[in-house]
Amino acid sequence: MTDELKKEIEGARRSFLHDLEHVQSPEQLAALRERFLSRRKGQVSLFLARLRECPPAEKPVAGQEINRFKEFVEEALAGAEAARISASAPWSDPSLPASELPVGRLHLIADIQRRIEDIFQQLGYEIATGPEVERDEYNFTLLNFPEHHPARDEQDTFFLEGHDDLLLRTHTSPMQVRYMLAHPPPLKIVSPGKAFRKDDPDATHSPCFHQVEGLLVDRGIHFSHLKGTLEAFCRSFYGPDVVLRFRPGYFPFTEPSAEVDISCFLCAGKNSDCRVCKGTGWLEILGSGMVHPQVLRNCRIDPEEYSGFAFGMGIERVAMVKYGVPDLRLLYDNDLRLLGQFG
Amino acid sequence: MKINVEYLKRFVACDLEDKALKELLAGIGLETAETLASDGETVLDIETTPNRPDWLSHYGIAREIAAKDHRLRFTPMDVSGASLDAPSTGFAIHVEDAADCRRYSGCIVRGLTVRESPPDVQKLLVSLGFRPINDIVDASNLVMMTCGQPLHIFDLDRLQGGEVRVRRARRGESLRLLDERDVALDERHLLIADARRPLALAGIMGGLDSGIGPGTRHIFIESACFDPVVIRLGAHALGLKTDASYRFERGMDAEATLPALKMALLFLARSQGRRLAPAFFQDAYPRPQERPVIHLDKDFPARLTGMELPAAASAAILGRLGFALRDEGGHWAVTPPSHRVDAQCREDLVEEIARIHGYEHLPGEMPLAANPVLRVDGGRVAVQRLQCQLADAGFNEVINYVFQSPEENLMADPQGEPLTLKNPLGRDFSVMKNSLLPGLLKNTAANANQGIERVALFEIGNVFGQEGKRVLESRRLAISACGLQQKKDWRLAAQAFDFAWFKSQLALLGRRLRLELAFRQGRHPAFSPSCCFAVEVDRRGCGWAGEVAAELRRFAKLDADAPVFAAEFDLAALIAAAPESRFLPWNRFPAARRDFTFLVAKSVRFEALRAAIERLRPEALESYELTDVFQGQAVPADKVSLSMGFTYRAQERTLTGDEVNAAHRGFIERLAAELGLIQR
Repeated sequence: MTDELKKEIEGARRSFLHDLEHVQSPEQLAALRERFLSRRKGQVSLFLARLRECPPAEKPVAGQEINRFKEFVEEALAGAEAARISASAPWSDPSLPASELPVGRLHLIADIQRRIEDIFQQLGYEIATGPEVERDEYNFTLLNFPEHHPARDEQDTFFLEGHDDLLLRTHTSPMQVRYMLAHPPPLKIVSPGKAFRKDDPDATHSPCFHQVEGLLVDRGIHFSHLKGTLEAFCRSFYGPDVVLRFRPGYFPFTEPSAEVDISCFLCAGKNSDCRVCKGTGWLEILGSGMVHPQVLRNCRIDPEEYSGFAFGMGIERVAMVKYGVPDLRLLYDNDLRLLGQFG
Repeated sequence: MKINVEYLKRFVACDLEDKALKELLAGIGLETAETLASDGETVLDIETTPNRPDWLSHYGIAREIAAKDHRLRFTPMDVSGASLDAPSTGFAIHVEDAADCRRYSGCIVRGLTVRESPPDVQKLLVSLGFRPINDIVDASNLVMMTCGQPLHIFDLDRLQGGEVRVRRARRGESLRLLDERDVALDERHLLIADARRPLALAGIMGGLDSGIGPGTRHIFIESACFDPVVIRLGAHALGLKTDASYRFERGMDAEATLPALKMALLFLARSQGRRLAPAFFQDAYPRPQERPVIHLDKDFPARLTGMELPAAASAAILGRLGFALRDEGGHWAVTPPSHRVDAQCREDLVEEIARIHGYEHLPGEMPLAANPVLRVDGGRVAVQRLQCQLADAGFNEVINYVFQSPEENLMADPQGEPLTLKNPLGRDFSVMKNSLLPGLLKNTAANANQGIERVALFEIGNVFGQEGKRVLESRRLAISACGLQQKKDWRLAAQAFDFAWFKSQLALLGRRLRLELAFRQGRHPAFSPSCCFAVEVDRRGCGWAGEVAAELRRFAKLDADAPVFAAEFDLAALIAAAPESRFLPWNRFPAARRDFTFLVAKSVRFEALRAAIERLRPEALESYELTDVFQGQAVPADKVSLSMGFTYRAQERTLTGDEVNAAHRGFIERLAAELGLIQR
């Protein structure tokens, strides 16, 4: 039975090709389509009707044969129709490749910074920026770094010739002081920007880097508010499942202080060879704490009435942790082969 | 801070495995930077913070462990076996200024034989990173690593006049230090001196001459508490940093000097194999260390942290940390232990409570605080628009350092006074940038030299300068383009950047902020004189644009011979000029257009033509545009053919054809006469 059908299909194929070759007009082409593909009387339908007579075991093979013939006829007809149309129009091939038009990108750091800003802006924070050449007072003294305190050693500072009271800010925290001196609470800001420390460039250090600083001061603000806020940020930025870990830390301008880790967004601590967390399950990403009462007093805010929290994160660190940039220096090489991958 | 785990467990009997111990320590703020093995023993290199000098010893870490785990007790070494019961005659300690030295305790021990320390002491010191020297020096190091108190031991025979004197150095004095360096001294330096000369830099390093040698027989042991700032300034002035200065500049416990002396006596007694009785002892401690009394409301720990912290739990934690509490009803009067020089205010106490209770108990809660006015920085929005516009046009953003070499500053502004770093990383990074252009050119060269055909960049960053004492800092936007505008493919020809394209991009950037940028020919050291423009908005300068000067290109080591086009804007000026949008009704009357094709001498720049048009324009002339530029066979060699379209329209009515013709003809005649144009 199947062999018989096969033979008949082969005959139909030859007949179709012969007729197709002799088609002269669109009308003839339409008639040919009708003859083979008409749902009721077309050759393909007739073959399909014959399937009913097939023994069940042969049905699948026979069905496949008929389908293959149907596809062959459809494709041949479509090609012939297309050829008829294009023969009368100028040549064009819409499948030719698209031109590679140039596309520019934001620097990865600028892009990350903007996304961090956007999240905090949605949480109602104002974005406040300050100068990179900063007064010693704002960078250190008013932030509760006493003049001759070893805490200053941790932030190796660039100083300026002829300006003993000025320096390149070692963090974006002086913006806290500037803002608090200028605005009474409640206040809620993030302050992004460049900061500088006298470190020779290596894989994890740069004399110039970027931070985003946050500050919130109001009545009744407590340490848990800091955690809630950072949780909201980290879940938005790193993924809804990340968990935060607070560890005791030390910053002269916060008390209590905390280093903040997030659970590894890649392996969640389940992969001991994880390339992101190196198997520890945690990523150190933030420094934070409750604003030190002395800093509030220095900024003419009464710590008996108000409390607040502050936090800061390094953008380069985010680039390395979240995007796998292996060496911090790459971010300042400005090689288009890197810049083109982000932003 | 290196901690030998086995030695540590002598002072706190905890049975934790190393991993669990490290976790416990990390939970209370002591991260292990590195775990080392030394001769079969585990040594933890623990990161400490500058506010906690008490952590810089095995005692300090043991105390913390005992505070965290209430089942454990801190058990310091029993020093009751050593006695300081000795005469205070025959020798003398003088402290000239108690502000420099809060306490100075010292004793003399006679009749020693310098020998090696017992093997277990040597092994312990090696594990902590010390080189064993002899039992006397080793004893002082071991005391410091055990309880934190730095000691200094003098060879008594080298001391003259039967006294030690704690005093400031006098200008002109000098001292040969233990490391055999000679240092010149002045009033900044605090000394231990004898009756005649300096012996040691107090709290920093001993002198070579009075140090312990193989023949030392009698010793004077110093156990003192120096002022942190004095030690810090003195050590900084000489570029020195020692184990002792590191501790003193963080603030030491004045109450610790006597137990440390006793501990040293016990260590020495062991190595000498006999009980040691001092021949002299004196304790110069004019004003006992003041300890703050901190008032802590019982509910304050919970209020500041948002943690559930019952008063009893807070009190128990403070008690375990050695704080003395006096219950005064609603609050406690809290006195920190003498070694906690960092504890000054109630927030410090809360951190202690929260830290020991465990930060893991901290709940997360969203604050409801809101800004009364949410100020939105319009400039930031404008900058984002510019960034997007530039990226869409195929420019890539770069970020460079803010400092560069003095030569680079000269490239962009040879006259301005540069702002120079006092302590740069090197000459190449020694001045604050006065322009972003040299950096952009270097980026261009680095990329072009990689064979990248299209290098279009921009940077937003601050530039600096100074006027007298005033430091200038402003934000700039710099843009550059070098190489191919468009990669060649089956459809598009390879086309190099030219200034017309670049200028169009700048004009587009201006239009993004609804600004009409005007380009006035000018001179600027960074640009080639033949293609250099001051960019203006409403006749106010806001930047420069042009083809980059050959000198700057050479300086940036740009090998390729393609020109570089660049611009630099003062961002604040650009943003300030951007107008607010406001509805303007548009003209509903029909416009009439007249074209004009003419020859003009090549010496006449389009800018001059434009100026003349502006000056002569009839009232009904609404706008004009250049539609074609032609140089060919029909055009004389010294001339160029331009075609322009002029659009006429009145505000209030429809102009008749005759009115338009009359206005146009008169205008063109005057224009032609003024600039010598020849109608074609």
